[in-house]
Amino acid sequence: MAPTATSTKWSTDFDTARRQRLFRAPPKDNTAYPSLAAAVDPHINSFNAIFGPGGQLDLGVKDIGIKTFLDGDPYATEILPRNRLQIRIQDIFLDKPALPPSNKHVLGDRRILPAECRERHCTYRGKLKARIEYRINNGDWIEHVRELGNAPIMLSSNRCHLEKMTPDELVKAKEESEELGGYFIVNGIEKLIRMLLVNRRNYPMAIKRGAFTNRGPGYTPFGIVIRSVRPDQTSQTNALHYLNDGNVNLRFSWRKAEYLVPVMMVLNALVETNDREVFEGIVGAAGSKGLEEKQFVTDRVELLLRTYKVYGLHSKAKTRAYLGEKFRVILQVPDDMSDEDAGTEFLKRIVLPHLGSPNVTEKEDADKFRMLLFMIRKLYSLVEGECAVDNPDTVQNQEVLLGGQLYGMILKEKLDEWLSSIRLPLQEWLRKHDWEPFTSQQFQNEFLGKILRRTNENIGQALEYFLSTGNLVSSTGLDLSQTAGFTVVAEKINFFRFISHFRMVHRGAFFAQLKTTAVRKLLPESWGFLDPVHTPDGGPCGLLNHLAHVCKISTHTVDVSAIPKLVAELGVSSNSSALLDQSVVVQLDGRVLGFCTPKQARVISDTLRYWKVEGTHGVPLELEIGYVPNSNGGQYPGVYMFSQQARFYRPVKYLPLGKLDYVGPFEQPFMAIACTDPEIESGYSTHVEYDPTNILSIVANQTPFSDFNQSPRNMYQCQMGKQTMGTPGTALRYRTDNKAYRIQSGQTPIVRPPLYNEYGLDNFPQGTNAVVAVISYTAYDLDDAMIINKSAHERGFGHGTIYKTKICDLEEGTRRNRSRNVTRLFGFAEGGLVKGQWRKTIDDDGFPRVGAELRNGDVLAAWTTVVLDPATGEYKNNDGVTNFFKYKEDEVAFIEEVRILGSETGNDPCQKISVKLRIPRSPVIGDKFSSRHGQKGVASQKWPAVDMPFSESGIQPDVIINPHAFPSRMTIGMFVESLAGKAGALHGIAQDSTPFRFDENNTAVDYFGHQLMKAGYAYHGSEPMYSGITGQELAADIYIGCVYYQRLRHMVNDKYQVRTTGPINQLTGQPIKGRKKGGGIRVGEMERDALLAHGTAFLLQDRLMNCSDYCKAAVCRACGSFLSTQPTVAEFDRKKRGSNVVRCRRCAVRAEAAADRSQVWADARGDRYVGGEDVAVVAVPGVLRYLDVELASMGVRLKFNVEP
Amino acid sequence: MSTYTTAGAQQQQQQQSSMAHDASSSTDERARFVEYSCGDCDAPVSLKRGEPIRCRSCGHRVLYKKRTHRMVQFEAR
Ligand SMILES: [Zn+2]
Repeated sequence: MAPTATSTKWSTDFDTARRQRLFRAPPKDNTAYPSLAAAVDPHINSFNAIFGPGGQLDLGVKDIGIKTFLDGDPYATEILPRNRLQIRIQDIFLDKPALPPSNKHVLGDRRILPAECRERHCTYRGKLKARIEYRINNGDWIEHVRELGNAPIMLSSNRCHLEKMTPDELVKAKEESEELGGYFIVNGIEKLIRMLLVNRRNYPMAIKRGAFTNRGPGYTPFGIVIRSVRPDQTSQTNALHYLNDGNVNLRFSWRKAEYLVPVMMVLNALVETNDREVFEGIVGAAGSKGLEEKQFVTDRVELLLRTYKVYGLHSKAKTRAYLGEKFRVILQVPDDMSDEDAGTEFLKRIVLPHLGSPNVTEKEDADKFRMLLFMIRKLYSLVEGECAVDNPDTVQNQEVLLGGQLYGMILKEKLDEWLSSIRLPLQEWLRKHDWEPFTSQQFQNEFLGKILRRTNENIGQALEYFLSTGNLVSSTGLDLSQTAGFTVVAEKINFFRFISHFRMVHRGAFFAQLKTTAVRKLLPESWGFLDPVHTPDGGPCGLLNHLAHVCKISTHTVDVSAIPKLVAELGVSSNSSALLDQSVVVQLDGRVLGFCTPKQARVISDTLRYWKVEGTHGVPLELEIGYVPNSNGGQYPGVYMFSQQARFYRPVKYLPLGKLDYVGPFEQPFMAIACTDPEIESGYSTHVEYDPTNILSIVANQTPFSDFNQSPRNMYQCQMGKQTMGTPGTALRYRTDNKAYRIQSGQTPIVRPPLYNEYGLDNFPQGTNAVVAVISYTAYDLDDAMIINKSAHERGFGHGTIYKTKICDLEEGTRRNRSRNVTRLFGFAEGGLVKGQWRKTIDDDGFPRVGAELRNGDVLAAWTTVVLDPATGEYKNNDGVTNFFKYKEDEVAFIEEVRILGSETGNDPCQKISVKLRIPRSPVIGDKFSSRHGQKGVASQKWPAVDMPFSESGIQPDVIINPHAFPSRMTIGMFVESLAGKAGALHGIAQDSTPFRFDENNTAVDYFGHQLMKAGYAYHGSEPMYSGITGQELAADIYIGCVYYQRLRHMVNDKYQVRTTGPINQLTGQPIKGRKKGGGIRVGEMERDALLAHGTAFLLQDRLMNCSDYCKAAVCRACGSFLSTQPTVAEFDRKKRGSNVVRCRRCAVRAEAAADRSQVWADARGDRYVGGEDVAVVAVPGVLRYLDVELASMGVRLKFNVEP
Repeated sequence: MSTYTTAGAQQQQQQQSSMAHDASSSTDERARFVEYSCGDCDAPVSLKRGEPIRCRSCGHRVLYKKRTHRMVQFEAR
């Protein structure tokens, strides 16, 4: 058999045999579903970009540079020359996960595969190493390799064993045949860093924000903000603020603190300049047209120049020295650096670092100078009202912070901190060794072993902490607006849920608290980049978006070295003119290339685009050419090109060449992209969409005929599709999810788009094709309830299973595992009694029996305390007590798998087992189901098949839903699906349900109606039906067809809550809340009002008293107090028990010796009283007495009138 | 040679105990070997209480408990 390449072309067809072949023999060449693999590309590629030469970390290490430390006694009286210790990181390596050298038992394959980490509930991580170099004074660099702990590794990345594995190899590595990777395994849990929307890099945005005025007196709401990104992807936000008097200040944050510097000072520090150059740079070249019209700007620039004079700094060197003196402390530069160098360092690190980093040339300083001038220009333009503000909430001005980039940024920062942290142990060593100089032999001997070892070198652990908690512990804050919630669990409830995690972009936790809803708005700019319907309703609505299924994210820079020359040839000059209609800017990645006329700008953008699609002149296809045309007070015009990573881009067809072009969100608003071919306007349209469904996400594309539905219903379906009980995967055997749902009756839908096959969703079915009749039949289908045919139920309709994994860990809670001494072992105590009840579920070894049935309270595993017997080298139990792990849930479960987990070293006895339980969940009344159109309902009855209505051909519905579900929701797509499903089932074909395929002239109803007619069924999909009870024909024809039904994971068995008595709150005596604890459901004020309105006094009494904090209390009728009553104590009762007789102490008086014995009573102390007999026992709520006590403590007395 | 004999003796003992298994369960018997299967190579792994967890043939660190030999009976509902 000649090996033919695995085909990756898919259609709507069922392809049953082909899929079967793929399952039986996973391909040995390439995956059959490349689109699926492409869905997680942004994650994997961003991680791949971290390591290796020229990678993100390589650049980051260069940016960290050389750390310098000085020796010498700070208290010394005479100043001696100090020695310098310099240290730098040369390289960072991350190994693939492997067994530690301490494991001597494995000789061959020492890899640790991800499946093992899932099973052993450990982290998939590799050894992180750094090659550092250090030198003393100007000696030779000495190289050394340090181990920095174990860093978590992204699956399928270039540090993972699964990279480039074929489906066949993946299956052998216990993975899915289409394992995508893109996530991390931390403590056995799959975690991913979710994509975050951040401001577009290197583009100065015009912002008007009220909060800017809080910076101080004179500050206005106007500002220009640029998020300047260094090559290592760390960013530094620079902002220009406009002050009332026309002055401009530069604001930046450094280590979470804000600083403001006059922009003139920065300009003067960057290059050797003069007032004329600055003036012309901001206003326009002298003699250019329209200079006299720019009175507003000229006035302000004059003031800007004049106010700066007070500093009296006249040269670049002096200005730098001034800045250096001010900022050398916060920059943490070494003590021996001159102020001028510190000023250079300031400019390098803080001012527009995207232009020149880590080493800044003079030319790059000039670039920074020109960019600053441009920003000032745009700021004045904004203040003047010449241009509009830029909206930071549109994707036009946003990019994506990818998981790998964040990982690399954190790693860089931890490395930086680690290098800086040498200072402390260094100082300590110097102090202890009598300020021995660095040049001494002793220092050189002890530096690595004694000083460097004292630093915290476990950087891997910091990364693991970040991934497992999602908390960012950072000294700089990484220029991000949030510190928590960066990672999420990649839940595998079903495949939609799983894949959506990787396509999800979040706006940021900060915006979730915002009262305004502007950030959540669906804006037209996001067309084709973010899915308009796939966002959750409720809290994160509009903040948590999903990428359109063809939208890509760039993860590397493209070569743009040819661009500046091309642009110059196209007529860009360095001089600008005063007016915007005379000259506009041309920028590349936040660098000013020059200025040209608006007409030329258009030509430049058109020419470059042609070359870019053509692939000539060195213009890369991924380049974004944002041409902003001149407008009346619109966005600031110019040509802005972007070539770096983290950009959105998507494929469209370029009409002049008929070829693929990529467009980005910045350029898109100013382009003419036709949606469909008929919409192309000759002479206007430049592009056309490949397919209108490209704007939808993977999940939204699966809603059949979604263009027929009201759009909120499509949103609901996107939500419910992700809550469906489906098939989480085929490698379930090797998964240890906390909780996994699985449907047993998964089918491929008859009605589906071709994308269903392209994304290989048949590998993960999540529903059943059901015969659905829309009829009001039993009265049990009111209010979105649905009736299930009992026979369908018995055939397995919607049958599901829940798998739960329980971990029995002996080391849990005992924080003594540092010492590595085993104190507990699984098993029964030797010589102890073993009950038969225990042996039902536990085997000889103390582990649960596979296949046993578990009920509440059954034992899951047995363990004993042990000590090591030094004579035999064996562990012995001495106390003879057997302890147990117990199964504490109410539902019956079966033990599916028991894993006995060893340690990485292979030397330790079992301290942890992982037990997978299977809980069968056949559908019961109250379980939730839904079609694929946001039409959810609960099962209300299992109706006997004999009583179901039947059609003329004898078909009975599996599901009955009420017709009232449709008029208000307008889910016409469901009707069409019903028609298409029916026709498909009759003809045995799969139906294409792609939206936007039908129109008014060529309707879906007509298309499928004719198919039905061909099969001998009614054109409209409705049929005469007969009552199953009377056998009479129903007066109306019934709409009956095939609809794909999903079973949602919300099941009554997880939700029902009942109690009569149960746990109560200690203080108030009222029932506690919470289903898990057996608590009650609150009858609140609203419920109380409803019951009152109905006059149901007994029910109220029962709910609010008898079933709550009913209590009997003694109250004194005379004084009306609860608190003064007390039980009497028989005088000679030695145990001082209280009797049933209660008296009021307040109304009683001390008994005199002569008092009548029959009148006297005594308290527990033996004091004797007379009187206070008028006490009644009443039923009151427990909190009433509590209230009385609380008030009494504040000196308020409650008096109760007791009647009768 | 001596190592060979001890290994053989162990095996014998194990067979005996598994035969005697259903009859009774006395205390000393509980310390005997239980057979698991390796999570990687599927080889049988016999372990006594307190022994390190690893496959004797491939060194894998996850072992599966085998399905019980006992009859498993549930109440039909
Ligand atoms: Zn093995």
